Amino acid sequence: MNQQDIQHLYWRAGFGATPSQFNKLSKLDKRQVIDALFQNSSRPSRLEIDTTALEQFTVKSVFKDKSKQREFLKISREKVKEFNTLWVNRLVVTDELLREKMTLFWANLFACRNKNIFYVQHYNNTLRNNALENFGAFVKAISKEPAMLKYLNSNQNRKQKPNENFARELMELFTLGEGNYTEEDIKESARAFTGYSHNFEGKFVLRKFQHDYDFKTFFGHTGQYDGDDIIDIILKQKQCARFICRKIYSFFVNEVVNEDRVEELATVFYEDYNIENLMRHVFMSDWFYSEEHIGSKIKSPIEFLVGITRTVPVKFEKTKDVLKIQKLLGQILLDPPNVAGWKGGKSWIDSNTIMLRLKLPSVILANAKISIKEKGEFEDSFETYYSKKNKFVSVKIDWETFEKQYSNSSFEDLKHQLIVPKLSDGTETYLKALSQNSKRNFCVQLMSLPEYQMC
Amino acid sequence: MERRQFLKQSTLASSLFFVPNFVKAFENLATTSLGYKRLVIIQLAGGNDGLNTIIPFNNDVYYRNRPTISIKKNEIIKVTDELGFNSNLLPLKKLYDQGHLTIINNVGYPNPNRSHFRSTDIWETASDSNQYLQTGWIGRYLDKYGNKSYNAIETDDSLSLALKGQNINGIATKNPQVLFRTSQDPYFKNVLEHYEDEHLSEHNLGYLYKTMIAAESSAKYIFEKHKTASNKHEYPNNEFANQLKTTSKLINSGIETKVFYSSLGGFDTHARQLNKQSRLLKIYAEGIDAFVSDLKQQGTFNDTLILTFSEFGRRVKQNAANGTDHGAASNVFIIGNKLKTPGFYNDFSGLSNLDGNGDLKYTIDFRSIYATLLGKWLAVDESTILSNNFSRLDFI
Repeated sequence: MNQQDIQHLYWRAGFGATPSQFNKLSKLDKRQVIDALFQNSSRPSRLEIDTTALEQFTVKSVFKDKSKQREFLKISREKVKEFNTLWVNRLVVTDELLREKMTLFWANLFACRNKNIFYVQHYNNTLRNNALENFGAFVKAISKEPAMLKYLNSNQNRKQKPNENFARELMELFTLGEGNYTEEDIKESARAFTGYSHNFEGKFVLRKFQHDYDFKTFFGHTGQYDGDDIIDIILKQKQCARFICRKIYSFFVNEVVNEDRVEELATVFYEDYNIENLMRHVFMSDWFYSEEHIGSKIKSPIEFLVGITRTVPVKFEKTKDVLKIQKLLGQILLDPPNVAGWKGGKSWIDSNTIMLRLKLPSVILANAKISIKEKGEFEDSFETYYSKKNKFVSVKIDWETFEKQYSNSSFEDLKHQLIVPKLSDGTETYLKALSQNSKRNFCVQLMSLPEYQMC
Repeated sequence: MERRQFLKQSTLASSLFFVPNFVKAFENLATTSLGYKRLVIIQLAGGNDGLNTIIPFNNDVYYRNRPTISIKKNEIIKVTDELGFNSNLLPLKKLYDQGHLTIINNVGYPNPNRSHFRSTDIWETASDSNQYLQTGWIGRYLDKYGNKSYNAIETDDSLSLALKGQNINGIATKNPQVLFRTSQDPYFKNVLEHYEDEHLSEHNLGYLYKTMIAAESSAKYIFEKHKTASNKHEYPNNEFANQLKTTSKLINSGIETKVFYSSLGGFDTHARQLNKQSRLLKIYAEGIDAFVSDLKQQGTFNDTLILTFSEFGRRVKQNAANGTDHGAASNVFIIGNKLKTPGFYNDFSGLSNLDGNGDLKYTIDFRSIYATLLGKWLAVDESTILSNNFSRLDFI
């Protein structure tokens, strides 16, 4: 496989490739490269955090004692933040690239947030475990996740007083897309999900007295359906395969969706809803590697941040800093804006985020201690503002690993390895004009180009 | 107002940009005569308890439901037979007496959501409670009637959804000087100088370059404007007052910004509410007081309208921790000169008809307030920004 194709595949299915990966993979053919990608992701590794601080809390203590409950939530909220940084770190160090990338994709499709660390962790691992498996089983698992039950009010969905929130989003955002079902379908299917609940530990419970066992009519079928039956009927609609494939295409291939390709993918997916088969088809297709898709995607904040730190290993000394960067860039993992998730693409970019994105590599990789070059007319520069008053980030940078990794790369190689789209002549000329005496400096310069924002 | 007219006003205003400082006094006069109306939006984030803000002091239900956290009758600044201000809002009472304050009671929306995130989302996008929009209402205003990021400024480090449009976003800055310095990084300048037009036609990458160029010029413009103005009134020393101080400087600089967005957080008073809320209301009222005085002294109060809202109110019944849980409808403040209905815009709906959760029901949809502000204050066609038709109210 040639370098451009490897780079494209590894950015879309992961977070870029290292020189040693380029080296190894360039000797393999396409099928071998893709087999290896799937092989590395064949078994999920759970992401888990130490929760011993919460072991003292029991159902009774939390439900009976409001102050206990507050204490529980307080610790839990901190744990969720910790879990966020653990996840970011996983993305930086993992070899299970595709599974982790897919997990991010699904986390945005099944967007959800919760304050309880146990539910958050369980949800996150459900996304990871199902990321490359069967879509139908996946949706059924999601419908029973405590975090989702709470997020979309399934807890309040009772026979006497159905709450349609989950049923509506199930169809609008998770499986079919707006306009492909009726209000009647929502009403009827909401009844099938009545009584869905969970216990304190987060185990799914069907509350029999609140479940509506009566007949429901859904997409022209009538039966005493429960939620799983409803999901099965949804899966029978080819629109469901189409909807997911359009999402896959716009996330992994190009935001500008080619409907013919979507139809091609939907036909593959509709056969058995096997996610791995679908993704193999995408990555094996020649069109996936066509010029129009190369470097056409704006990196999400997480792709951007993880990409930087996979190239130059960085250890953040405070979890707070990792969260702050995510906040300022507009994407905090585990905290999507709403159930529709992040819109992605151009919406990542505004005046503030573009400036921060271009500035961030130098701020992080210069250990936030860039000196004030000259005392000018202003008291504060960006760097001193953040280092004096609110030191922007404190990090340990492992330049040695970077230099080892890139020891055989020339400056020209480094450029090709870090920048995906073609540079314009003007930028090319400018880079040549810079003194190229340090790979570290050149790396930071490359990462500070608008082109580095693309993958 | 049509886009054309907006552009016309903008060009007129920008010609004033070059007016020497000694005639600056005329600048405000000129922008005023242009009717350069500005809207300042303040979110009390976390869900402010409206009932302990504007207190129904003759209501037994209020005192019964809040044995330890109600405000005692003798501590309330009474303004009607029924309602009074929290004593920490003394400066606001002053505005009330001068006819500069309208309080709109029972503001909310159908099927209220009690999550901070979701409800803030609903207020910021002006969506229905079961609808998910990915642009904010001010963002859509910019899409239709703006042409520059700085037409809407948020005094924060990052931009809220409220100011994000489909094609144009507002800009966030706590400190125009820092923003400017960031944009003036020599490396960026060089890269931008070397950019070629071909970039700009490219999908996505071209967008990055365009945004960067626009950011640089916006940062420069905001900074240049900002440094020409000064504050004519002392402000308290806190983050919120600083935001207002910056806002006032920008307004008084004659900047072409129609909307300013700020927030004051910490209102999520689940426990020990009395002290926390008192402190915050005081910060709010004192900040507003300084801000209004400053604008008045510089002759810009006439063309400034301030909207204060919170994503929801709080439960009528207090909880066991001397606090309150998330509620629904609450009050909204409108501050400005020559208000049509100074005082209370509508009656407080009382506490006998609560919803299933024991929360206040809304009688005024917040989107009809938006419709009023867009239609009557910013003089644009609100139907192009808000999805449904919300009838305008009468407060301006």
